[in-house]
Amino acid sequence: MAFRIKMIMPLVALFLVAIGYPLGYSFWLSLTNYRITKPGQTEFVGMAQYQALFDNAAYWEALIVTGTFMVIAVSLELVLGLAIALALRRQVRVRNMTRAFLLSPMFITPIAVGLMFRFLLNPQLGPLDLLLEKLNLSYDYFGPGNAIFTIALIDVWQWTPFMVLLLLAGLESLPRAPFEAAKVDGASPWLTLKSITLPMLSSVLVVAVLIRGLDAMRVFEYVFAITRGGPGTETQTIQYLIYQTGIQFFRLGQASAMAYMVLAIVLVFVIFLFRAINKEARR
Amino acid sequence: MKITQRLGRMASVALLVAAVLAVLGPFLWVILGSFKNERSINDPLAIFFTPTLDNWNAVINGGILQAAGRSLIVATISVSIALLVGGMGAYSIARYKAGGSTMRFGILSAQVLPPAVLVFPFLALAYTLRVNDTLVAVTAAHISLVLPVVTWFLIGFFEAVPKGIEEAAQVDGLGKFAAFRTVVLPQVAPGIGAAAVFGFTLSWNDLFYALILAPGNAQTLPVAIAGFNTFRGVQLGAMCAAILVSVVPVLIASYFIQRRLVRGISGGSLKY
Repeated sequence: MAFRIKMIMPLVALFLVAIGYPLGYSFWLSLTNYRITKPGQTEFVGMAQYQALFDNAAYWEALIVTGTFMVIAVSLELVLGLAIALALRRQVRVRNMTRAFLLSPMFITPIAVGLMFRFLLNPQLGPLDLLLEKLNLSYDYFGPGNAIFTIALIDVWQWTPFMVLLLLAGLESLPRAPFEAAKVDGASPWLTLKSITLPMLSSVLVVAVLIRGLDAMRVFEYVFAITRGGPGTETQTIQYLIYQTGIQFFRLGQASAMAYMVLAIVLVFVIFLFRAINKEARR
Repeated sequence: MKITQRLGRMASVALLVAAVLAVLGPFLWVILGSFKNERSINDPLAIFFTPTLDNWNAVINGGILQAAGRSLIVATISVSIALLVGGMGAYSIARYKAGGSTMRFGILSAQVLPPAVLVFPFLALAYTLRVNDTLVAVTAAHISLVLPVVTWFLIGFFEAVPKGIEEAAQVDGLGKFAAFRTVVLPQVAPGIGAAAVFGFTLSWNDLFYALILAPGNAQTLPVAIAGFNTFRGVQLGAMCAAILVSVVPVLIASYFIQRRLVRGISGGSLKY
């Protein structure tokens, strides 16, 4: 056996066992009415679980909630991350410490972030509400209409650092010549950003946005820690709905069908991501 | 021109100061909260108060350290397996293009696979094998979580190693595996370190798998922290202390790998 095959065999084998097998198993689950409470009564139901999804209003609502969350969170992270990366790029003093501080949120366990903000924003226990009160203002962070926005902002707190990390690396790897030429020509910072920096950075931007988007699609911890899908079902994200369906109601068949539909969406994103990464690698 | 430049500089400093404050504020609140007693925790603006170690005692006696120990076991085992298997595979992929772009695409997809797809098979299997609510189930799931990420990371680092070095070693009479082990591996040691820390963080921070596969006796740290999810003010201080137990080790470890993360996350396409 060739050396390269020998080296990759364990990886392929472990992939098949740890990922391939569960992947196939969950597809099989999605074709049955499997309930963990009644494992003996499992029946093959074909595409019935998928057909049921089309009439399942909660499922579609969860997709819309997740999409809304993704768009709000990732676009704010992109704008803020780019601004911070540009600012870090021209920073002169205490660079390393600033970077270390600013990147730290992305390493914290998301459930801790969720709980932290749950209490920070709590009307009785949190400081923010008291400060607002002193200004005679009040805001119901997790109230109807606001909750999904607040959850997205928590995501922004935790994951803007990821954008900063990738965009800063992208910025620092750009060639200097075009910027010096722009300076000589007296181009304004805004024009330089728009016509030099952003176009040259475009593939990094695409990679960063896609990775963040894919990650935001799995949002679970903040919802679990704070709103549990409420008020009503306003913050019931797809990952939370699947959790509920599988764990609260033990409907593993239905939950797996939901997850498989999400997987199809994810795969489309991954194809774009793969292309963007290959494009950046060739640059 | 001069004025716009100066304004731009001031704006960028102001943005950085605001960002640092926004990051540090919640941390500071948690650190203070972990030393507050029941009375001062109900006064969120209190910065001066008599500190107490009650919360820390509650955390130490309340099973949080055991949960941290379990998280440590799960993360160490899954990361070690991922480094061993993923390291060999990543070398083959980076150097010999094993599996071509299909293999790379598979690894990238596996990284972003929604956990909801894999978790129920693991749960059903754990019930069948009677390992539900044990670390075995969580570790198995975490291997599926960590393995693709670590492999992807290492591909990027192996690709950065100049091709000549193992050829030179082979001329010196070393076998291919020996060349890999003694010549290439030391070159990518920083990358392996970064992959290890990143994989460790992934496992250490995971709530979704651990909550579903081991909600009871084998709780990992994030599950135990989620257990503070009540509005009883009494537990708030202890929750703050538990959060710090979970956060401090990863923050220290991640500090050393921040710069190397970029190459790993982008699979070597972004050099930094």
